[in-house]
Amino acid sequence: MSSVDYSQEPSVLEGKPPLRKIEDDIIKPLNTKPDKKYYIALAFTLTLAFIGAIGLGYSFYYGTGMWGNNNPVGWGLPIVNFVFWVGIGHAGTLISAILFLFRQKWRTGIARFAEGMTIFAVLTAGIFPVIHTGRPWIAHYLLPLPNQHSLWVNFTSPLLWDVFAVSTYLTVSAIFWYVGLIPDFGALREKATTKVKKIIYSVFSLGWRNSNRHWQHYEMVYLILAGFATPLVLSVHTIVSFDFAVSILPGWHTTIFPPYFVAGAVFSGFAMVQNVLIFIRKIFNYEYIIPIDTLERMNKIILLTSMMVGYAYSMEFFIAWYSGVQPEQFAFINRAFGPYAWAYWIMVSCNVIFPQLFWIKKIRRSVPYMFAIAVFVNVGMWFERFVITVTSLSRDYLPSSWAYYTPTLTDMAILLGSFGLFFTFLLLFTKGLPVVSIAEVKAVADGAQPSHKDH
Amino acid sequence: MNSTEHRIEYERKELPAGLFKIGLVFFIIGLIVAVVGYFVDPTRSAFNNLIILMFLISVGLGSLFLVALEYIGGAVWSTPFRRITEFFAAVLFILPFFIIPVYFNIHDMFHWTHVEEVLKDKILSGKSAYLNEGFFTIRIVLFFAIWIFFYLILTRNSKKQDTTLDQSLTKKNIKISAIFMPFFGITLTLASIDWIMSLEPHWFSTIFGIYYFSGTILTALAVTTFMVVYLNEKGLLVKGLKRDHYYSLGALLFAFINFWAYIAFSQFLLIYYANLPEETYWFIARTEGSWVFVTILLGVVHFLVPYIGLLSQPSKMNPKRLKFMAVWILCAHLLDMYWLIMPTFSKDGAAFGWMELGYPLLAFGTIILVFYYFAKNKDLIPVGDPKLKRGIDFRL
Repeated sequence: MSSVDYSQEPSVLEGKPPLRKIEDDIIKPLNTKPDKKYYIALAFTLTLAFIGAIGLGYSFYYGTGMWGNNNPVGWGLPIVNFVFWVGIGHAGTLISAILFLFRQKWRTGIARFAEGMTIFAVLTAGIFPVIHTGRPWIAHYLLPLPNQHSLWVNFTSPLLWDVFAVSTYLTVSAIFWYVGLIPDFGALREKATTKVKKIIYSVFSLGWRNSNRHWQHYEMVYLILAGFATPLVLSVHTIVSFDFAVSILPGWHTTIFPPYFVAGAVFSGFAMVQNVLIFIRKIFNYEYIIPIDTLERMNKIILLTSMMVGYAYSMEFFIAWYSGVQPEQFAFINRAFGPYAWAYWIMVSCNVIFPQLFWIKKIRRSVPYMFAIAVFVNVGMWFERFVITVTSLSRDYLPSSWAYYTPTLTDMAILLGSFGLFFTFLLLFTKGLPVVSIAEVKAVADGAQPSHKDH
Repeated sequence: MNSTEHRIEYERKELPAGLFKIGLVFFIIGLIVAVVGYFVDPTRSAFNNLIILMFLISVGLGSLFLVALEYIGGAVWSTPFRRITEFFAAVLFILPFFIIPVYFNIHDMFHWTHVEEVLKDKILSGKSAYLNEGFFTIRIVLFFAIWIFFYLILTRNSKKQDTTLDQSLTKKNIKISAIFMPFFGITLTLASIDWIMSLEPHWFSTIFGIYYFSGTILTALAVTTFMVVYLNEKGLLVKGLKRDHYYSLGALLFAFINFWAYIAFSQFLLIYYANLPEETYWFIARTEGSWVFVTILLGVVHFLVPYIGLLSQPSKMNPKRLKFMAVWILCAHLLDMYWLIMPTFSKDGAAFGWMELGYPLLAFGTIILVFYYFAKNKDLIPVGDPKLKRGIDFRL
């Protein structure tokens, strides 16, 4: 094993690439025709999205009775999927905003892409609460709109706070993303191959000319937006957790939920970002921009958040026992050994046990292993939401109304469709915009930093 | 571009004598209060003792956590004053002096230690596998042993590097720090459950460990911030520590002020909203009589004032402001511990008198004296650390 020299700042890019090469490589996919593989991938994701559309069509035509939701389990797969997708979005903001505030230079190679995933994940997530209302065509009543019936939303419900939190989060994320893109639009404008492209890029670059004053404003705005995005990202999953935790249902009502949900969201989001980046860096030859060191750092965060979720699982269990409250104790025994034990143990093994392999450096740095573990994490985190939502509802306070919940084909079609939609967005993104921030990566290249030698 | 040609401008100097004097004065006043208090009202003095015990754990264990965090995070900006944090972690050594008085008064403080009462109470009997004196004692010893163990290895390697300049020691400490983290999380949580939450043995909250953690980190950051700014102004630290370092400390303080408020509010809101009697009574006890003022005061002192005080960018770099806020935050954490612990002692209203004033002095005095003892005639910076130069050169 080679030893690291701690007295030197480690380079975040591999092999001292010239600045020009960085710019050309990032712009290249935008100015070349996509190959066959791209269309195959796009056809695949569109097919998935289409399956989802059929599921949605069924649900709208026949009603929500097409879903598995039954009497105690009023929150079935739609809510599970909603929480899952919102969670996926969190890694993007963590990487682009929070790691920015922590001045982590390694984030530059992955921030743009992760931030894009945030927006797509939140858009995908938004479908589910809307369809879960059963009447998506009057979804605007989720907002407090004045109307002649004097029908108002319930301001004391976290479900409403969710509407505000998620929409604010989406807005700020989109603005943050766009502001980060402005200098790159400027660069793209200069390298545009066709007139149409040049006009489009010019419009979006807002007259960016790389002047000193532009950069000063840009950096100020970027910092402020990062500062805004940070509390927002925490608020979103906190409020999602409130949806559950303000109730009195055992397994839902527990005070650790807010930080636990945030940690879980970052956990699953990082796993998803890592999975997708492994393909991106390979296909676009970005191995020097997103080197194995960056992936290793992501794996360390996955390991850390895995232990945070593990901590939350253990605390829930321990305090349920410690509380001496019988329904509380039953809820957790039921999770681990009841009819949904299979889901519970999938969750525990995927989220807490497998990621422990990342303690081993070789596995942290091996692409196939890390890919597999992150896939497990995604599966596990989906099951975590399933376990929380379904097990607690299916056996609540009244044993006479207990019922087992099974998702239907329509449910599964919509779930598949959400993956289809998300990856379709991603594929279009890789061809429509630079997936790596040109300006930021150039700024962390060797020799780009000012030296403080003579101060 | 070779940075080794620049020498590190540091020479070892005497610590300011004033530091020792003020520490000694605080300590002696505190000790007198503690001794007199013990004879006047042993129960009340034991509760006060517990408050400062939890405060000192925050200082010692929190500092050890910050040291470990720097290693795992690969941070360089904090390397020039990591040694200061290490000195504060040595507070761990004096914990037994504060654990023992608590331990001798265990029956006056912890309801669950009365076996005959527990047998009458169905819920408490259910918990007795965890809450019993034997296991409680084993846990105290175990936590303490774990903390001291990690303290000894981490600081020994760090000190060894001063002379050997061996980079592999950094690598070793990174590994040890990573292993320390899960131990830290578990012991800190259980310690907060044992020594604070179990004072009201029927009450439970899953977030409680994180609540205590948030205050712990804030406290550890505050002691380091104060000492770094203070010593740097006296010119005792390495040349080149500038606004950039101050800003980073200020920003972290600010972040953890928010984190504490977030956790505290989450805990309150969820219990208030669900309104289950087995949980709400804990908060009701803190709004009973004059306690309601302490509760409001906590929100102002622990969140509002430091939030406003550190919000703007210049305030995070202002040495005066940082020193003031650091001391303020330490007092806020003491108030927090008081708010968590004292309602068990005086149920109808906040008890505040000379003992509550004297014990914090004992805590501050102890911290200063421990720091002085460990830092005296030592290098205040890790002179052999490979990251030192990068840390001094750190700019935003």
